Amino acid sequence: MKNKIYIGLLLIAFIFQASIVRVGAEEFDYKSKEFEAAASQFMCTCGCGQDHFECDPKTCNLTIGFKEDIVEMMNKGWNKDKIREYYVNIYGEEILTAPEKSGFSLVAWVLPFVVLGIAGVAIFFIIRKWVKKKGTDEGALDNDIDKDEVEEEILTSMIEEERKKYL
Amino acid sequence: MYLFANATIYVGLALAIYSLLIITLGISTKNQKLINSGKGGVIAILVCASMAMLSLFYLLATSQFQYEYVTDYTSSELPIIYKLTALWAGNSGSLLLWTFFLVLYTVMIAFSRKMRGNPMVPYISAILLGNIVFFFLILGFVAKPFILLDQVPIEGHGLNPMLQNPGMIIHPVTLYLGYVGLAIPFAFAMAALLLKNVDDFWIKMTRRWTIIAWLFLSLGNIFGGQWAYVELGWGGYWAWDPVENASFMPWLTATAFLHSVMIQERKNMLKIWNISLIITSYALTLFGTFLVRSGVLTSVHAFANSNLGLYFLIFMGVAVIGALYVLMSRYSLLKRSAGEFNSYISKESSFLINNLLLVGAAFGVFWGTVFPLVSEAVRGTKVTVGMPFFNTVQAPILLSMMFVMAVCPLLAWQRSSLKNLKKNFLIPAILAVVAMALMVVLGIQKAWAVIGFGVIVLLFITHFLEFYRGVKARRKMTKEKVYLSLYRLMTKNRRRYGGYMVHIGIAFIAMGIIGSQNYDVQTMKTVNLGDSIEVKDYRINYERLDQKREGINDIVYAEMTVFKNGKRIGNIMPEKVFYGNWDQPSSEVGLISSLKEDLYVVLSDWEDDGKATFIVKVNPMIAWLWIGSFMIVIGSLFAVWNGKYQNITPRYTGVRKEVS
Repeated sequence: MKNKIYIGLLLIAFIFQASIVRVGAEEFDYKSKEFEAAASQFMCTCGCGQDHFECDPKTCNLTIGFKEDIVEMMNKGWNKDKIREYYVNIYGEEILTAPEKSGFSLVAWVLPFVVLGIAGVAIFFIIRKWVKKKGTDEGALDNDIDKDEVEEEILTSMIEEERKKYL
Repeated sequence: MYLFANATIYVGLALAIYSLLIITLGISTKNQKLINSGKGGVIAILVCASMAMLSLFYLLATSQFQYEYVTDYTSSELPIIYKLTALWAGNSGSLLLWTFFLVLYTVMIAFSRKMRGNPMVPYISAILLGNIVFFFLILGFVAKPFILLDQVPIEGHGLNPMLQNPGMIIHPVTLYLGYVGLAIPFAFAMAALLLKNVDDFWIKMTRRWTIIAWLFLSLGNIFGGQWAYVELGWGGYWAWDPVENASFMPWLTATAFLHSVMIQERKNMLKIWNISLIITSYALTLFGTFLVRSGVLTSVHAFANSNLGLYFLIFMGVAVIGALYVLMSRYSLLKRSAGEFNSYISKESSFLINNLLLVGAAFGVFWGTVFPLVSEAVRGTKVTVGMPFFNTVQAPILLSMMFVMAVCPLLAWQRSSLKNLKKNFLIPAILAVVAMALMVVLGIQKAWAVIGFGVIVLLFITHFLEFYRGVKARRKMTKEKVYLSLYRLMTKNRRRYGGYMVHIGIAFIAMGIIGSQNYDVQTMKTVNLGDSIEVKDYRINYERLDQKREGINDIVYAEMTVFKNGKRIGNIMPEKVFYGNWDQPSSEVGLISSLKEDLYVVLSDWEDDGKATFIVKVNPMIAWLWIGSFMIVIGSLFAVWNGKYQNITPRYTGVRKEVS
């Protein structure tokens, strides 16, 4: 008899489990930080251009089921990485809001900084070249100034000599 | 009406072709009469473009549903203002607006008082006419605004409700003025190269037009952000959507030009680089249009079912290749006058770093925008590149940019010695570090936020010192009162102090971004009538749920009273609007804004018994975004304003006038 009661209770639990989960989903704060970490990884495909954390369930039917599924997975103890892996396996990388940081997609993340780094080094060398050029020019200019001063001194002394002769 | 409206397009096209040919002939034969005839043609084109605009406004305002465009974008119950603004809701209408602005700018240049007798005018006019011909060709044969339907529908499809917002009235207009505006510096650059003369006059005129285009691009982006914040209901203002990126990229490269042109002005250097920035900015505006009109990328802004993008891509290719050819053919001329730097540490060097970061940021945005296409082409896998990518890549670059912006004002032109650096930076740096320590003590402990706010504090101090030292030096000589001295200091050097005002505006915007990105709090609660939602210091009493009808739209709204720390601060009424002729409802948010933070409430869902679900957000420092935006506008206007001391435009010193 006891066994029959247990089986009956299990059956009732099984029948109503969906509504229990649903109640759980309804009461879940879809704007909590934990939910954000998991749901904001995935792009909503309804055309709203938002992720599943931001997408308003009132205006998008697609996100309602998605949000409930994520809550279900979170209740099972799945972390955001496991949830991510699960969806990427089904829908591919396109479902993510940003490319993966591995394989070819890593190029997306790295290239802007590589270009910036190379351009930065190039600018350093350009500035160095311009500063050096200035240094060389200044050196040449100093020589010119010295030369001019010597010439001027010779000229002044010659004038002085001539003046002495006639005055 | 049909004949008249279409005639405005085709006559406009014929006149544009005539003017282009006659001006080109006038240039090659040095015949002023032909040039004058072409300039007269430009006026006639403006008349045609204006008539085309007025025709479409008239058809939209009077709901003439026999026209495809009117049916597609309006309905009879639409308020008159939105009937009129539907002109830029669709492809052909927005291209007509673009054409009108382009012709308007061309007339302004061709008949400008400052440009009178200048031999650059025919060249600039011809280059802009080349653009005008392209746009009229598109309007005449690809995206026709005046197509008649076989059967006249009783009612139109209506305007996308998202576009029924005051922000949307002005956002596209300012953005187009910015896009079109960048064609002017491009035309100036090409004309200068063709005439082999990139002198002070060129710099002055190009910079002025670039600031104007930059200001409109800034306004366009700001209005777009403000619209997204109040209309889309997600509490954000910038989503790194491909179309937003398309307007941000030329903004970045134009900003780079506005700084690097100062080196050309002072040292006669970077000519090739500056012209390349102008070409890039112009090409990026065409690239943006290609993105919006081609549908190659998914975007909430995209115009559906259009092959227009291809034409823009071809036009962009022709324009860029032509521009590069002209640039290369004048390479030796531009290279000849290259100067040199006096020191590693100087204002000149900091401007180069500034250019590196701005162009680097533009490249980062470009790369992220096109990466889905690259990924698909290389390995056949589609990827989405959204906000997490752009925030991660752009945050360090733009933060470095803020640092350079903070440091630059106190660096001397030519050479900054170590002693000079120590003298200028020791106190601001100490104060910034103290401010950062204070932030940590007060509970701001996220590393990015502390560093970001620290850099902003440094920026405020260095900019304050610039004003302080200028006023002090002036008062020493003139003994003027402080405010008078400040006023005269600024008005005698509008560009410099206008630029500083823009910097301060950018710092305010950065404050808003850092605050709202790092310290927002949000929750989603389902409550019964009479219950409260508590978030941070706020208690929001949910008092009433009701429904009203406005025209053919049904509006469900909730009445709520907001308390902060137990004190009543106001009422809000978040709404959900259901449109009679549109499937998707839209949200009107309930908003209480202060300098510290915004309380942002969205009515998400409800039941018959009055139970309702609300999304409640507390977004810190959002108001600073709008204050900063206002500062940018004021600063830009201050910089370009023709004040008492700014009327002098350098004399044109180029080739002898043959035709003008």
